[in-house]
Amino acid sequence: MSRAFRRSALIGAGLATALAAGTAVVACQSSDGGGSAAPKLSVADPYIPLPATPGGMGAGYLTVRNDGGADRLVKVTSPAAGSVTMHRSTEKSMEEVGELAVPAHGSLDLARGGTHLMIMEWAKQPALGDELELDLEFAKAGTVVVKVPVKPLTYRPGS
Amino acid sequence: MASLRSTRPRLMTAAALVLGASLALSACSSSGGGGEDSGAAKVSKQASTSQYRGTVLSKHFDKPDLVLNDTSGQPYDLKARTAGRTVLLFFGYTSCPDVCPTTMGDIGVAMSKLAPEQRQKLDVVFVSTDPERDTPQVLRTWLDSMGKDFVGLTGDLAKVKAAAKPLGILVEDPVVAANGSVTSTHGAQVLAFLPGDDKAHLLYMAGTTVETYAHDLQLLAQGVAV
Repeated sequence: MSRAFRRSALIGAGLATALAAGTAVVACQSSDGGGSAAPKLSVADPYIPLPATPGGMGAGYLTVRNDGGADRLVKVTSPAAGSVTMHRSTEKSMEEVGELAVPAHGSLDLARGGTHLMIMEWAKQPALGDELELDLEFAKAGTVVVKVPVKPLTYRPGS
Repeated sequence: MASLRSTRPRLMTAAALVLGASLALSACSSSGGGGEDSGAAKVSKQASTSQYRGTVLSKHFDKPDLVLNDTSGQPYDLKARTAGRTVLLFFGYTSCPDVCPTTMGDIGVAMSKLAPEQRQKLDVVFVSTDPERDTPQVLRTWLDSMGKDFVGLTGDLAKVKAAAKPLGILVEDPVVAANGSVTSTHGAQVLAFLPGDDKAHLLYMAGTTVETYAHDLQLLAQGVAV
């Protein structure tokens, strides 16, 4: 978060916009002078389904769009939860992943049945309508702060 | 597995695996970027003339002989209690963040679209693959978020494994990580048993849509032949 003050300021401005919009669209730029290799990230359709057990195991889903060069999501934290880890569901199980690629001019989809965030140790039991902060840390673009709405358990974007 | 590209070979492979039976459906995903969207789980069924959208099984599995505790803590004999009824059976665990609540939630939404008398013809049974943590009370609270009338069974994991294996569903011992999170390996397919012979005739892979469930549950409630 504190890697570059200017970037934080930029993200802060982005966050203000995101708060108004409900979803975050934050443009990030690397400090290496730009060029075609710099990732240009935005986050779309973030949501946390209401955990099936109140205050219990939760998931987070979102799409990271990238209009620039490749990047990697290396860590996710949240002031709203003690533990946020990245997992990939497989046919029969799920496995924790250390980082996730955000391809150049592509997207990283965290979606049901695939790659997702596993969220535990809620600071406060999530309720419908809450907006919880997730801090997405990218290898190049730095930290992107997203406000994520808590949606019904069976919600899907666009439904 | 990486060579599976078109729908039909994928279907045939799924059918072959189902026929092969004693092993769980193995992962045919994650051979690259496409694995993440669970595309491999979307087995379509163009080769069949059935009205059902689920995968029609050519081998009809027997309903497992399984007695565990239900969510009231009382013994529940699956075979006896559901004899002559339509049953959807799923194995999973409540600390599962993604596939389990998504699957059970989607079935819950599909059930809610049925008329009450139709809903009463279907039993949705969830068997815990993490009985140590999934006590009857924990299971009931979790299931209530998706279906108040869903049956939850928990008890001896050895029994659960033995019941799942002949269905081609692999269940392994749960693994508890340092941060307290639990990972249980379990086949994520849903099996539908029919009332006529109490055998499984339909299979739904993880990633089956609410629309598919709603479509097929309607047919199942009406007793339409597979």
